[in-house]
Amino acid sequence: MTVAGGAPTAPAAITPEKLRIYGLGGALVGIYLAAVLNSVLGTDIFSILAAAGAVAAAVTGANAVRRVCGYGIGTGVPSIGMLALGMGIVGASFGLSTAQQLGVSMAGVIIALVYAMVFGYIVGAIANRVMGFNIPIMEEGLTDLSGAGAMAIIGWSYAISGSLGYADMVTKVFNTGYLAIVFICGGLAILHPFNANLGPDEKQDRTLVNGLMVGSLAVVAVGLCSLATLSTTAAIITIVIGAAAWYYFYVWYYRLVKRDAAAVVGTGLLPPSAL
Amino acid sequence: MNFDALTIVYILEIIVGGLLVGVGVHFVPVGGAPAAMAQATGIGTGTVQLAAGSGLTGLLAAGLMMSVTDNIWPILASGAVGAMIMIDATMMTGGWIYAYAVGAPFASAKVNYDPITGYSQPPYVAPGTVGQGIPTVCYVSGTIGAFMGGLGGALIYYPLMMTNHNPSLSALFAIGIFLVNAVLASWNIQGTIEGFHDPKFKRWPKAFRSCLVATLILALVAVTITGGA
Repeated sequence: MTVAGGAPTAPAAITPEKLRIYGLGGALVGIYLAAVLNSVLGTDIFSILAAAGAVAAAVTGANAVRRVCGYGIGTGVPSIGMLALGMGIVGASFGLSTAQQLGVSMAGVIIALVYAMVFGYIVGAIANRVMGFNIPIMEEGLTDLSGAGAMAIIGWSYAISGSLGYADMVTKVFNTGYLAIVFICGGLAILHPFNANLGPDEKQDRTLVNGLMVGSLAVVAVGLCSLATLSTTAAIITIVIGAAAWYYFYVWYYRLVKRDAAAVVGTGLLPPSAL
Repeated sequence: MNFDALTIVYILEIIVGGLLVGVGVHFVPVGGAPAAMAQATGIGTGTVQLAAGSGLTGLLAAGLMMSVTDNIWPILASGAVGAMIMIDATMMTGGWIYAYAVGAPFASAKVNYDPITGYSQPPYVAPGTVGQGIPTVCYVSGTIGAFMGGLGGALIYYPLMMTNHNPSLSALFAIGIFLVNAVLASWNIQGTIEGFHDPKFKRWPKAFRSCLVATLILALVAVTITGGA
């Protein structure tokens, strides 16, 4: 591409409000669509929709990480990603467990999202008021982050278990230990984008496309796990779509990296005298 | 789910566990990237990673003990000892690398005299750095921190196990509570700390208050979670 004759056009920033609706709303739509289609049609091949919803949630989380960490939190970016998943896992298991006890399994996702977001807000308030961070968007950022963590865990767990029932989730995702894979891959999708792109030339679109890329890799990992729990067709659909999405976003990300990189000028090999 | 006296005891145990983790993190010497480059004292990684590492080792040890007995004391003891072994092994091998590979002397620039041995520190500190390696006091402090972290982790794991009877669920949930407290504490430290002799250590009451509120909210929901089926 040519950038001569003026700066490259600055990418239009996506506002946090929009990303929250797309990400958390998209995750809800993806998970419920997968649950409804799977149960109505008596199949499990739509589990990929929940995994895609989880990717959308992870992108919201990645945006929250870049907003909060842009202020500098003094401990490195990975800590906030681990916090997101720590809050998310508590929210996710609380939501699904409570829903089962109340006899409304389908409401579990919403309970988890609400609890996670409330808890995230409280942790953000603690960070500002008690720790004295004074980051104006801390509450908002951690609310998004906590909700995104819970949605990512539920979405990817659904892609493994193929059911929103808490008992199925426990047998297929918790007891098998696949939740650890969801935890690490999901954590990476949330914390890695800003960690890899931070710096004075950090651009929102490049960071978020990186998030989509890492999230797609998580979908592949989840698909591999689901080989053991779902039908082979469903698992292969998840793996193939995840891999295709990874390739697509990888190429896109590479294009953005080239756009933002400083010019690389070939100077030839060093002269023999310099070696 | 009815909140009887036993449930309240479980909630209290989780809260105490969370507070032990939050305060214990302050004892563990971490230096992040500067320590990795031998420019600062401490283990060359982030607080959360170290705390998580020692906590997970403690959880594994506690879980193993819990598969044999339901008595709380050996479970807590094995959790604490497991975490201590992990941190001590990390610091010892880290010390070998500093001494024999990097060639850095063990010295701290934060104090003039080592509080334990009484040795003078400034002559051994390389100019422009804040000390290198892990002096004796960091080692002792780290061991105390790991003891508290492992004890806290086991104290979170035990009541969860007693309420939901599912080891994997309890372990993952305990990791979640553990990470929240470790991150809050490391935000309080903001980067590097050498241990109880570090001036930043005086900030622990802030982390105590924060972890108290956060763990209380987590503990209230944690005891309502069933083990499935």
